Amino acid sequence: MINKTNYNPVTSQIADMLAEIVGNKYVIFGDSHELEQYSHDEIPDRNYARMPEVVLRPGTTEEIAQIMTLANRELIPVTPRGAGSGLSGGAVPVHGGIVLLTDRMNSIIEFDKDNMMITVEPGMITNEINEYLEEFGLFFAGYPMSGETCYIGGNVAENAGGGKAVKYGVTGRYILGLEIVTPVGKVIRLGGKLIKDVAGYNLIGLITGSEGTLAVITKITLKLMPLPKHQVDLLCLFNTSQDAIQTVPKIMTECGIIPTAIEFMDRNAVQAACQYLNESIPYHQAGAMLIITVDGSNSQQVETEYELIGKLCEKYGAIEVYVADNPTTSERIWKIRRNIGEAYNIISKRQSNEDIAVPPASIPQMVTILGNLSQKYNVMIPCFGHAGDGNLHARIVSDPQWSDEKWYQILPQLLDELYDETARLGGTISGEHGIGHKRKGSLAKVADSNYLDILRSIKMAFDPNNILNPGKIFDMKQ
Amino acid sequence: MTAVNADIWILAEQSQGIIQRVTFELITRGLKLSAKRNCKLCVMLFGHGISDQDLQDLIDRGANKIVYLEHTDLKDFLIEPFSDAMCGIISQYNPEVILAGATTTGRTLMPYVAIKVNTGLTADCTSLDIEPETGNLIQTRPAIGGNIMASILTPEHRPQMATVRPRSTSSAENNGPRIGEIIKTSPEKLTSSRLTLVKFSPFEDKINISDADIVVTVGRGIKKKENLSIIYDLAETLNAAIGATREVVDRDWLSYSHQVGLSGHTISPKLYIGIGLSGSIQHIAGMQTSEKIIAINNDPDAQIFKLADYGIVGDLFEIVPLLTQKLRDGAKL
Amino acid sequence: MRIILPIKQVPETRKVRMDEKTGTVIREGVESIINPLDLYSIEFALKIKEHIKCEIIGISMGPEKAEVALKEAIAMGIDSARLISDRAFAGSDTWATSYVLYKAIQKIGNVDLVICGERATDGDTGQVGPGIAAFMDIPVVTYVSSLNNICPEYCTIDRTIEHGHETLKTEFPAVLTVVKEIGEPRLPTLKGKIQVKNTVIPHWNLNDLGIEANKVGLKGSPTRVMKIFRPQVTRECKLLYADDEPKMESTVNRLAKSIRDMELF
Repeated sequence: MINKTNYNPVTSQIADMLAEIVGNKYVIFGDSHELEQYSHDEIPDRNYARMPEVVLRPGTTEEIAQIMTLANRELIPVTPRGAGSGLSGGAVPVHGGIVLLTDRMNSIIEFDKDNMMITVEPGMITNEINEYLEEFGLFFAGYPMSGETCYIGGNVAENAGGGKAVKYGVTGRYILGLEIVTPVGKVIRLGGKLIKDVAGYNLIGLITGSEGTLAVITKITLKLMPLPKHQVDLLCLFNTSQDAIQTVPKIMTECGIIPTAIEFMDRNAVQAACQYLNESIPYHQAGAMLIITVDGSNSQQVETEYELIGKLCEKYGAIEVYVADNPTTSERIWKIRRNIGEAYNIISKRQSNEDIAVPPASIPQMVTILGNLSQKYNVMIPCFGHAGDGNLHARIVSDPQWSDEKWYQILPQLLDELYDETARLGGTISGEHGIGHKRKGSLAKVADSNYLDILRSIKMAFDPNNILNPGKIFDMKQ
Repeated sequence: MTAVNADIWILAEQSQGIIQRVTFELITRGLKLSAKRNCKLCVMLFGHGISDQDLQDLIDRGANKIVYLEHTDLKDFLIEPFSDAMCGIISQYNPEVILAGATTTGRTLMPYVAIKVNTGLTADCTSLDIEPETGNLIQTRPAIGGNIMASILTPEHRPQMATVRPRSTSSAENNGPRIGEIIKTSPEKLTSSRLTLVKFSPFEDKINISDADIVVTVGRGIKKKENLSIIYDLAETLNAAIGATREVVDRDWLSYSHQVGLSGHTISPKLYIGIGLSGSIQHIAGMQTSEKIIAINNDPDAQIFKLADYGIVGDLFEIVPLLTQKLRDGAKL
Repeated sequence: MRIILPIKQVPETRKVRMDEKTGTVIREGVESIINPLDLYSIEFALKIKEHIKCEIIGISMGPEKAEVALKEAIAMGIDSARLISDRAFAGSDTWATSYVLYKAIQKIGNVDLVICGERATDGDTGQVGPGIAAFMDIPVVTYVSSLNNICPEYCTIDRTIEHGHETLKTEFPAVLTVVKEIGEPRLPTLKGKIQVKNTVIPHWNLNDLGIEANKVGLKGSPTRVMKIFRPQVTRECKLLYADDEPKMESTVNRLAKSIRDMELF
């Protein structure tokens, strides 16, 4: 197996050739200030940042195919990039080279109302797809939480999940067709407007979530769902994390209802966000909170469901249940969840955003483990996330007094222990953010070597010279 | 509709015996209308202990007639005696138009009186015109958060009443002595007030956002309350008032008296400097009539840049202290 | 004592559009919410209830679906509500609206306090509160920011004006209009929501209130919308970058100069 880390630099001669492909206007080269913003994603820690040598903004599939052909010939690494809102370093050019921006490819190619499908280019902001669809009473249900920034291309590449996965599943469930450009510059169409399709291997499933390492995605056909007309959010205050978490599976087993979202926030997360927002609900009494969303096309049914769930929460120890059935109160409730991150950014920028996923029933144990780690290492670990699907965003936050040295000495030890415990519970180290290069070193904890070998063989089949987004998920040679 | 007495009237506003700036702006508005309609501009003033000099100043700024009702019960604004006083003027003089500032006083007294005298009232106008023939006042105001302007008439009722957004026009200047009529009377009997003023506690801030020529407005980008010091420094250097977005007030970093926007205060300073705020529709509704708008934000796509004259893209924590220093250095030169 | 809360249902501001031909707000397809400032009046009334025994009644003038707003207020803790709905009310300006609400308050009777949000975010006039007070011939205190003291005959409150806080004492009955400083509104609870389901909200129309048709709607409104138009955007933003060392100095210099050139300080 070849481990290509000796890539060729992007010389001004090569930059000229690239400019010929995409047009001068769409090349950023030699301006380190301009290039800097493409050196990182939204991981707060800039140690994961790497500078690109050139940034290209192609406008067509054909241009991308030409770029890949050239890069493959000249052995220059290429890193595709969407909105850069990722949290695993997936869009970071670890080995420099070319960053391929998809921002100009942002059109709707076809909206097929009768088939309830839409074909879009990868640079479309996912939120805008849903804004467009709203008037037709449809939506793309795999929409993650990152709000108004992320691109659909990034969502597919990362197989993004998000808050609504409990009911609607993740991005991959809604992808019917893809057009891709392989690392050697071939254009391939996968799937199409078919709900059922078993002709050959399921390459859509393979490309989805491949973190931009197997192909550049240039067109996406999405399956759409009817947009629910009614939505109600419950904010449930519990005495303890255990009370809150143990209620989660009962919502589904006892009430027989699959809510749209179940978000969990532990005491630390709740206190920080509520203090930051100057929130007046009696959060001081709450050891944990759940936000539970139900939606549907029938208001009666939604009402029945939220009442059943609310009463169940009270039965299992909720000290108060608030109901939000309009934009004002819904915004108020979700604001708490959305501001946890910001509240901790103010305490310390030194953080590690973890994305562990465990079998949903193991969440109470995981919460205990995180509490113990927090005490043992004397760091803050507010814990929040999609309790309904087992995906917890534990955010490890440094004591603001610590030195960088101390933080980087403690953090790996802590993560090591955390990932070991996660593996022990049958979990994995990333539920929706991806491995990227951030978690690459820890993948072996939850994946055995045979599995990793198969991944390497697949990578080789697509990308014999290892030029597409190299240095992500796994290394080619151990 | 061309009654002999049909003049343009404004309500002069005083606080603690001092004539408020909005009065001079109303004179500017009134002069334009009275010239077009070829009628007099008259001022009604309710208070206690206003000097003759201050009354003459209103004449010198362009008014033809002042009616000053002086009474201890008119010293501070209380709805009942003030309503009594204004209703008295209306029945005595039959004004065609009454303008007041869209201030806390104007926006309380005018709607109360409009009901009492059974006429229409338009709130918070930013532009006024009059039809010379009919005397119909064309009252234009922002509606729906400033997305739309609406022109409103009160065709069949007199007086036509409107409150006018403070600072939406310039103050009438005093260009030397003029001759005008000053009527100073003390009403014998005013309705006794069921409302009493117990005390008045002035704000500690020297300048408030509705009066200031310059308002430095801060958004969530300031990150925490402690960081506001750089905003205070800049505001002090500029002699500016401090405004805030709803986000900042909700987090209790600044009090409600600073809030600019749809659920806060509407401002029209000569210079608005927005720092670390994105420019939500709700915020923009409260500041878009500012004369000059400068915005500082690290996101070049921030909405606020779309209506700014100058947009500075960068880190406010670097830009603001440096700007303060440059302004201070410049002042020394 | 008895407190009346006039509550308005408004379109959510983020999504509001207007019909430029007719000058009316397009409410179709736009979600309606309780006027955000009315949430403060609800909160204020509920705070008063913590101090003194009282009955809080919400009233709303609007279409049938405004019942949703009243139900939300009941879920938050007010005692009952009346919906005032009639096609004849459509097009009412602040004069006519104040009149209808006044007639409803009169019908309820024995009212000590009327508490309104300072204004509604759609009309943005703030004229209805003082208007109701004028019809009732009682005092009004606007921009109320906090309650100091209340007893069955009077209350003392703080009011925020341009230059400071006034403390005022008012006899009852009176109208108060409140601002945000009152405090963050409480969220409706599950118990409240379930209770609302069994609450019947009486609907009152023109006849129920004994109002003559020519006193309401467009006919009863002294003001007329003559035209509406989009404001002209005249600004063109000069975007200057100050996101690295060299640009910082020159950009800030330029900015400082242009501020100084305005000669405002």
